[in-house]
Amino acid sequence: MSGDVRNSEFGMRKYLVIGMWLAGLMLLGVLLSELGGGWLPIPRWGVAVLILGLSTIKAALVALYYMHLQSDRKLLALVAAAPFCLILLALGVIFSSHLIRF
Amino acid sequence: MASGTHAVSVSRPLEVQTATGIPSGKLGMWLFLASEVMFFTGLIGAYIVLRFSNPNWPGHEGHLSVPIGTINTLVLIGSSVTIVLSLAASNRQALTLARGWLLATILLGSSFLVIKGFEYSAKFTHHILPSTNVFWSCYFALTGFHALHVLGGIVFNGWLLSRTFGGAIWPPQRHRLELAGLYWHFVDIVWIFLFPLLYLI
Repeated sequence: MSGDVRNSEFGMRKYLVIGMWLAGLMLLGVLLSELGGGWLPIPRWGVAVLILGLSTIKAALVALYYMHLQSDRKLLALVAAAPFCLILLALGVIFSSHLIRF
Repeated sequence: MASGTHAVSVSRPLEVQTATGIPSGKLGMWLFLASEVMFFTGLIGAYIVLRFSNPNWPGHEGHLSVPIGTINTLVLIGSSVTIVLSLAASNRQALTLARGWLLATILLGSSFLVIKGFEYSAKFTHHILPSTNVFWSCYFALTGFHALHVLGGIVFNGWLLSRTFGGAIWPPQRHRLELAGLYWHFVDIVWIFLFPLLYLI
């Protein structure tokens, strides 16, 4: 078996494992949503934060491994990060306005 | 080489020297995706602001089927796996396998739209329209724009698949497959956030 084929098979296995993690984390979010109301001693906002945290982990897995940001050139990671800096700025404006009004 | 694969005669991928060291098409796709992040952030941000300003949101009138949403999310995650496997197959020049995974991606993307169509149909049957209330306005706007992006991805992938037939040279298609993959994964990421926001929280 050549090294290329071995690397390729390793890559395919990695992609499949990440796919299973994505599905598992998504199902965990559904479970938290369904059980969070009464079974778990977590307030509703806490469940929402947990579920959105799981979504952020899933998005990071897709971006790093499926979109290859982990191994690609750093410039692409900067391009990908740029809109999130603007989003943080926008969130700051929104919530500062919210604090002023109330 | 594994059975069921077909080696192409050109062994090196298409490489073009650029100042950044990144192919122009790839850099352009990432810049486009950055602009798309801003587009969906505007929509999702509006939804979150409206959601926070109404503690009873969405109330008994805003019921969505979690099992259907869960199945659709699994379908879209599956399509992300198949397109990355298609790229991996194309990198080792297994053209038949790459085509197969790309076709699977198209089928899974189409399944996502069909399921979404059934969901829309059920809402319309119950006289639930974008004008019903602000929750349904947000729901149809967010999922509608996302579905249009999925449709765009299916068309792109279908065009790409058609280009691999009839003796087309593979390396340029491999480069395009990478771009198609980036776009498709972005559409997946958007749904990764839309699903919990609309169905779970």
